[in-house]
Amino acid sequence: MTEQKQFEEIVARMAELKDTSELMIDLAYSSLMLNSRELAEEVQRLEEYVDQLHTDFELLVLTSDFKKEEASGFLGLIRLGVATEKIADAAAEMAEVVLRGVEPHPVLKLAIREAEETVTQACVTDSSPLINKTLKEARVHEETGMWILAIRRGEKTLRPKADSKIQAGDILIASGYAEGVNDLKKLASPEQSCKIE
Amino acid sequence: MPHFEKIEYKPIPVRELLLEMKNLSELMIDLAYSAALFNDKELAEDILELEARVDTLAYLLDMEIMVAARDAKDAEALIGVSTVAAATDKISDAAADIAAIVTHNIGVHPIVSAIFEKVEKHLSKATVREGSVIAGKQVGKLELAARMGVDIIAIRRNKEWIINPKDSERVFRGDVLITRGAPQGIKDFKELAEGSLTKLEGQ
Repeated sequence: MTEQKQFEEIVARMAELKDTSELMIDLAYSSLMLNSRELAEEVQRLEEYVDQLHTDFELLVLTSDFKKEEASGFLGLIRLGVATEKIADAAAEMAEVVLRGVEPHPVLKLAIREAEETVTQACVTDSSPLINKTLKEARVHEETGMWILAIRRGEKTLRPKADSKIQAGDILIASGYAEGVNDLKKLASPEQSCKIE
Repeated sequence: MPHFEKIEYKPIPVRELLLEMKNLSELMIDLAYSAALFNDKELAEDILELEARVDTLAYLLDMEIMVAARDAKDAEALIGVSTVAAATDKISDAAADIAAIVTHNIGVHPIVSAIFEKVEKHLSKATVREGSVIAGKQVGKLELAARMGVDIIAIRRNKEWIINPKDSERVFRGDVLITRGAPQGIKDFKELAEGSLTKLEGQ
């Protein structure tokens, strides 16, 4: 591998590691808030993915050609990776609470709902402009500041992809600053507010 | 040697403790990555202080839970709260580990900036220039989260960092602001602060 290519790989792995660890935190809080085994299991799957990603990242860093005076910076990279992996671990521990089969204590729900970065769910009603749009076209994040973490459709919970189409009846599970919650709800169910179990 | 103090029991609602732990732990992640990205030692030192705060909160929360459990059923319901609190504590520890890379003069290889250009949530540092539309305004009045999906997580003023500024805090010319958010919003905000963009959306 050329040095340039190796650097690109290191950058891509670390960026993916960081994004995934933060997604895991959001998903873990969502799983607690909704007492959702499926979301908690997704966090566990991502934890395995992160472990692999982290190992790949470390190997790439350690096999880079670097001079003695660069060692410190490479050590910094390794430590950054270890810390990020620790964040992913913490998310997996939170999700475990749900997987133990005891309904999460109501105080958890309260704290998550009131937090600066919160998770919420919104149902897509017939009048929503989101219907039949792909997630890419829907630009939910640009419009509301909320990131869609999962889509619940009937019994299934889907992980969002850019080309997933939103349908009436979908329940969007999203995270973001508390300020965006109402905007998301208005976008998903413009006329009526809908009650989710 | 770290200094440990006796922490006395105080009746504080578990919800409040947990809320502060969740908020702080997530804020600390972004602050820590910012400290690594901008190689800012003083910011890194402030993160270590926040970490000590989270430790105290974790301690208080554990005591609170012990007092609250009256029987086995309570214990089964409350252990999950303790697990989640411990996880937020672990996240803040991880943030402190990142800060320590900076305070111990290890530093992160310069490709760190390429990494932070590729991630979903961007971090940026901007200085408020003369004539910027945000100069003199209160943080809350800027409605940055709603307008552009951006949040100011720290302000550097008079050689000190103001961490997680309140809504009532004003931004002044010369302030250095660290913001987090979506790439486009972050880009727009930097231009607003530096004065090349002169209109706040929706005004």
